Amino acid sequence: MIRERLNGSEILFRVVLSVLCAIIFLSIIYPLYFIVIASISDSTLVSTGKVLFMPKNISFFGYNQIFQDDRIWNGYRNTVFYTLAGTFVNLLITLPAAYVLSRREFRARRLIMVVFVITMFFNGGLIPTYLLMKDLHLTNTMWMFILPFCVNVFYLIIARTFFESSLPSELYEAAAIDGCSHFGFFVRIALPLSKALISVIGLYYLVGHWNDFFTGLIYIRDNKLQPLQIVLRDILLSNQVFQNGAGTGGAAGGYAQKYADQIKYGVIIVSTLPILVIYPFLQKYFEKGVLIGSVKG
Amino acid sequence: MKKTLSLVLTACLLTLLLAACSNNGGNQEPQKTGEDKGNASGAKVKLTAIITKHPLTKPLAEMEWLQKAEEAAGVDIEWQEITADWEQKKGTMLASGDTADLFVGPNVITDADFAQFQGLFQDLTELLPEAPNVQKMFDEKPETKIIATQPDGKIYGLPKYQRFWPASASRQYINQTWLDQLGLSMPTNWDELYDVLVAFKEKDANGNGDPNDEIPMDWPGGIGGFFNPAVLLGGLGITLTDGSGQGYFVEEGKVKNFLTDDRYKKMVVFLNKLYKAGLINPEVFTHDYTKFQSVARGEGDLAKVGFTWGWVASDRFGEQLAPQYTSMSPLKESAGYSGKVSWSYDFATLNYGVNQIVMSAKTKNKEAAMRFINELYKQEVSMQVLFGSLGTNIKDNGDGSYAVLPPADEKMDPGTWKWTSTWADNGPMYLPDSLDLALGKDMQEVLVQSEPLSDALAVDTASDVFPAMFIKYTTADNNTMSLNNTNVMNLANTNFAKWVTKGAVEAQWDEYVKQSKKAGLDQNIEIMQKYYDEYVSKK
Amino acid sequence: MGSRSIFSTFKRDYQLWVMVFPAIAVILIFNYIPMYGIQLAFRDFDFSKGLTGGEWRGLFYFKQFWESFLFTDLMRNTFMISFTSIIIGFPAPILLALVLNQIRRKKMKQLMQTTVYLPHFISIIVLVGMMNVLLSPETGIVGYFMKSVGFGNINLLASTSTFIPVNIISEIWQHCGWNSIIYLAALSTVDPQLYDSAKMDGASRWQTIRYIDFPALIPTIVILFILSMGNILSTGFEKIFLMQNSLNLPVSEVIATYVYKIGIVSNQFSYASAIGLFNTLINFIFLFAMNAISKKASNTSLF
Repeated sequence: MIRERLNGSEILFRVVLSVLCAIIFLSIIYPLYFIVIASISDSTLVSTGKVLFMPKNISFFGYNQIFQDDRIWNGYRNTVFYTLAGTFVNLLITLPAAYVLSRREFRARRLIMVVFVITMFFNGGLIPTYLLMKDLHLTNTMWMFILPFCVNVFYLIIARTFFESSLPSELYEAAAIDGCSHFGFFVRIALPLSKALISVIGLYYLVGHWNDFFTGLIYIRDNKLQPLQIVLRDILLSNQVFQNGAGTGGAAGGYAQKYADQIKYGVIIVSTLPILVIYPFLQKYFEKGVLIGSVKG
Repeated sequence: MKKTLSLVLTACLLTLLLAACSNNGGNQEPQKTGEDKGNASGAKVKLTAIITKHPLTKPLAEMEWLQKAEEAAGVDIEWQEITADWEQKKGTMLASGDTADLFVGPNVITDADFAQFQGLFQDLTELLPEAPNVQKMFDEKPETKIIATQPDGKIYGLPKYQRFWPASASRQYINQTWLDQLGLSMPTNWDELYDVLVAFKEKDANGNGDPNDEIPMDWPGGIGGFFNPAVLLGGLGITLTDGSGQGYFVEEGKVKNFLTDDRYKKMVVFLNKLYKAGLINPEVFTHDYTKFQSVARGEGDLAKVGFTWGWVASDRFGEQLAPQYTSMSPLKESAGYSGKVSWSYDFATLNYGVNQIVMSAKTKNKEAAMRFINELYKQEVSMQVLFGSLGTNIKDNGDGSYAVLPPADEKMDPGTWKWTSTWADNGPMYLPDSLDLALGKDMQEVLVQSEPLSDALAVDTASDVFPAMFIKYTTADNNTMSLNNTNVMNLANTNFAKWVTKGAVEAQWDEYVKQSKKAGLDQNIEIMQKYYDEYVSKK
Repeated sequence: MGSRSIFSTFKRDYQLWVMVFPAIAVILIFNYIPMYGIQLAFRDFDFSKGLTGGEWRGLFYFKQFWESFLFTDLMRNTFMISFTSIIIGFPAPILLALVLNQIRRKKMKQLMQTTVYLPHFISIIVLVGMMNVLLSPETGIVGYFMKSVGFGNINLLASTSTFIPVNIISEIWQHCGWNSIIYLAALSTVDPQLYDSAKMDGASRWQTIRYIDFPALIPTIVILFILSMGNILSTGFEKIFLMQNSLNLPVSEVIATYVYKIGIVSNQFSYASAIGLFNTLINFIFLFAMNAISKKASNTSLF
């Protein structure tokens, strides 16, 4: 890197940048840090504001409770599988379609876009959808998590915009002269140039699958097929219902109540840690100049 | 770059294949074992069932009493256990006709559902002769049959009767230690309460040297419903029913709503006076239940809350602080008030339950399903539905009497233990008044702490209690009422919070009453009065 | 653009058709087949006669909503909340992406990127729970801070005037980093030579942002902005519902929470469908309008 001159404007810029970053960093990291200390502190102290910077009355009861539950491990296995398989199918269908819709010479693209965009707004409602899934024999199977709705129109539009704005049309023309078909161009040129895009869309889909609990809630009856989010929601809600516990006449209280929040915060950590690990791997594709660099290299 | 990507893709594919295989295996296995079982024991009937259980409740497969009950009825039930979001699941499930054979849970399918999904559920009247235990409940407690019977005479869902619960869910607590420390006597009316709370606030009632950490008064956050200040209306003669969460009550045969009653206005003025003096928790309208509970649990021996409502002291304040608190009698509005003093009468809602078990009309072997239902309503089984299996949760004294055992896990309180071990209050059951069962420590505590309320709760159930559970509305009336109530409660909640914190109830009252009427309050009262009169005339 | 021209080019474009076919099939099957259910908004729901067999009620359920007691409040609140989230919430990730893109030290940049996207994964129940603890006027850290700065004892969660700011700030806190990812990806496609030559010309960093980075983002910004206009009446449900309390209810009751309160009580499928359809139509009109404007103004459009 060329050593830069440090003029006044550059110094001011750096100061502003550093201060800005520091503020952003602290305002985001503190609440996250709070979750971590809350997950190992006494809940009563947490909710009365006694735990602000350091954990107090440390206990791992919450984590114990969470990991003791066999359903957690089963849920983990299901979710990992649904997420990987689902994301794979998503990309397999979305990317080629986005490429096609980005080609200005493709005459039907306007019509198809309208057809797609309409689905972002209108849907038949839950019951007709449920009936359809039942007729297709998808309910209560793992395919429910993978096949239906595997094209997200929003992501498709993002991908299309990306192809449009960053694949110069001269590139295809040049390739076509060399006898390259659309298939060949897409696989050999468009995809390798779009790693940043594939990682973004892939990540979006991935996280979507990871956090999906609605599918499990509505379409799945077999507990063995339930994803992690359903299991965690059950655990989470088991702490919320205390307020009804007394009302329904039983005072389901004291003992578990004390650790309610611990479990709540622990669940966050348990459910998000795996997906957090993925981001750094994808991050390198966002580095500056990946696209042009690879065209030249 | 290319290499890593293709590696990831292959990995994806591989896991896909692998998991697909293992999944198939997983799916087939239970079916096979099911068949084997069927062959071995001969005539066991397979049924499917859905239960909405408390999230604390352990898996049904681990409940010994349930295995025995299934065995005795000659059925083998595949349970789907639901702990959350039943409302969302139910709508889709019923509308698409995709049901199980049996549904279990508190009001698991509502009367409105029966009306809306005609033909989806089994009319049990024809099967009743095969269920002598259910018949026995209907004979001994005729009101249970009224609860169960729809306007057209059919019975789709069976109720429960659990007998032991007190007549009110809310008890009123004051910190006796603080009273003693400051040399104060027990308040008996609103004005005395005000003076006591002022003393709590100003004189460092908990004696830790910080005069500002006491919260003289606290409640969960709403108006009516359990543990909320509407019970103070008892001091003006209003008897709430089942907490009167939406304000409706009956007075001398007339259905009314306290939300537009002048006595309610009086109470709001009083609460505003308390709030202005800093005697009410400033977070009363915003805190969540966890925080509401933890604040009252104080710090170690140091109590923080002076006056509040709750189910039982040990749950409300924790075992450590509970001894500091006394359950107290209802407060009169003023020393000069000479009318009757009342409270919230919740007996029906605490002891009965509607539609605890429901059968689908599509069930193939209805006789077998009914055998299982009958088994649940057997005295010995019902008892175990509520408190847990004989041996681990209930002791059989051998002379026909029983006792609820303390939790096996010493750290656990009896309430949690009960909800962990069995269906508890969520199940269908009939505990006859003749059953000789000694209750656990928690229930005894509740009953003892209910004693100061007993005078106020000696209400005239014929003319002062709204029999909500015994009335069946038509679908149209039901829809109208719930729409109106959404609007009325929106208005009421907003104004109540505003008036308590900022005052001005006197100036805005007339406009508010007018608005409430516009929102449908009068229409609802009219509908309810119609049904109430009908109920009374039939009785 | 008649259908004839589409088919006359079919032969030339058959490869493109093959590539787009699976997406079309999936959309047609899973999204379009169930759409017959929309008529439920115009019919009574009658289980015994099947989903579409109920009596035709025309606009009855729409009228019920328009004439409803809370209609004007609901519309105002819904619009206010989503309007502020477009005005303030939309630019935030763009600015964040531009800031992050300026960080030169690689380690630092990675740390910042990873940090800002973390909050996205916190579930709403927990987020609101945390807000209850941290914003509490008595015991929360923000409460302490507000007191020490001299704002006094304001309960941020309990006031009609602070509900919208608190909602939007927490929204930005949670999703800004995640939403900036797409802009970061767009920035990664900028030709490094542009920066080099800008430096040669003595351009300051402010100027490179203004003249190189920002223009690179414009296509993405326009498309996302059009899409966000299609959400003008969508506030989301869960967070608002959980943040509601009786003190902020006058500004926090929105269409989504109202439908929930009505729908959950008595399965009023028809009424809920009608409100949903009404909501959708308004969103759709906004989207189309925005798309047309953008097509005229910048030649970027969805279709």
